[in-house]
Amino acid sequence: MRFIAAVAVAILCGLAATVASAQETGARPATLPDWSGAWLMQGPTVFDAATVQPKNGRAGEPDVREFPPYNAEWEAIYKKHIELVKHGTFPDPISTCGTPHGFPRVMNVPDVYEFAVTAQQVVIVTENGPNILRVYTDGRTHPAPEDLWPTYNGSSVGHWEGDTLVFTTIALKGFSGKDVIVDRTGLVLSDVSRVTTRLRKVDDMTMEARMVIEDAKALTAPWSVAKRYRKQPPGTWAWDYACAENNRNPISGSGRTLTLGPDGKPIDKVVD
Amino acid sequence: MKSLISALLVTTAAVLAVPALLAHHSASMFDDTKVLELTGVVREMQWANPHIWIQVVVTDNGAKKEWSLEGGSPNSLSRRGWRSTTFKPGDVVTVRLNPMKDGTLAGAFIGARFASDGHTIGRWD
Repeated sequence: MRFIAAVAVAILCGLAATVASAQETGARPATLPDWSGAWLMQGPTVFDAATVQPKNGRAGEPDVREFPPYNAEWEAIYKKHIELVKHGTFPDPISTCGTPHGFPRVMNVPDVYEFAVTAQQVVIVTENGPNILRVYTDGRTHPAPEDLWPTYNGSSVGHWEGDTLVFTTIALKGFSGKDVIVDRTGLVLSDVSRVTTRLRKVDDMTMEARMVIEDAKALTAPWSVAKRYRKQPPGTWAWDYACAENNRNPISGSGRTLTLGPDGKPIDKVVD
Repeated sequence: MKSLISALLVTTAAVLAVPALLAHHSASMFDDTKVLELTGVVREMQWANPHIWIQVVVTDNGAKKEWSLEGGSPNSLSRRGWRSTTFKPGDVVTVRLNPMKDGTLAGAFIGARFASDGHTIGRWD
């Protein structure tokens, strides 16, 4: 009996040491879910596929729209953007290759995702962009309002509810500087938008992000959107994505996406 | 070498559009209701982000014209079997593309067939 107790104590000490070590090194403790691997968003880059019209419409195509609970002012802004899309003059800020996609669009990009779970934070890395979203889970709260300023991905803090990461994101730029959109239908949010996200693994092959978006300037009610990500084959690589390396599609002054020839000069007939 | 624009197909649906292009910029400059088929010689493939470009020289009525074909990112294409050497200078290819709406010599790459052995890449149904 004394031997068994000694073994049990040794195991517990070992486990405690492992947990302490994991906390010190940032490794994922065994109590947190394994989200390793590469994941690919399912479906096209329409943000709210549940409401898109026409059904299966793609972001960037003429007369494709979603139906967030916009107030009249922001519905008018959206309609203006839809009109610009129709004329090919709604600029996507990321086409300049100089800025991140911004939250919540960062949950809506092509190419692969990685979700790095550690004791203190979850880091979401998107190959496309690239983008990095840090979600702190070490018990901290959002900085005080006077210590915050609007950024592309804002401030995210969260906690674990079982295997679900629940986090809130605030201090977002939104469309205030016209440099963060939500998708290419012309969807935008304001700089007071606030998002609560529940991120979990639905099954071995599927991750899901359920977002509830509140925006006192733009929305009349919370807006719920879900995105899913499919696990890629074992050993899938995520690669460097240096967007400015050979960007032959800059944006013109009117918001038109240009096409450059191999000599670096626009080949478009209209350059405005 | 005799090369020419061999076909201009009109589709009623945008089934041959290239979603990968949506990764970085609007595809509004391309006409995804049209599919153009060209035969020419590869001058260069630019294997770089955010999109690969294939430069193909087409001889049309004796005049050499260089076309720019835009594809997905090297990252996503590499996961579909593409490599930086998939198109080599001098390769004779027939390519399909969604052409520019304004008629300039560029388009969104759909697929290609290599004259050397008939193998294809991309969508070639």
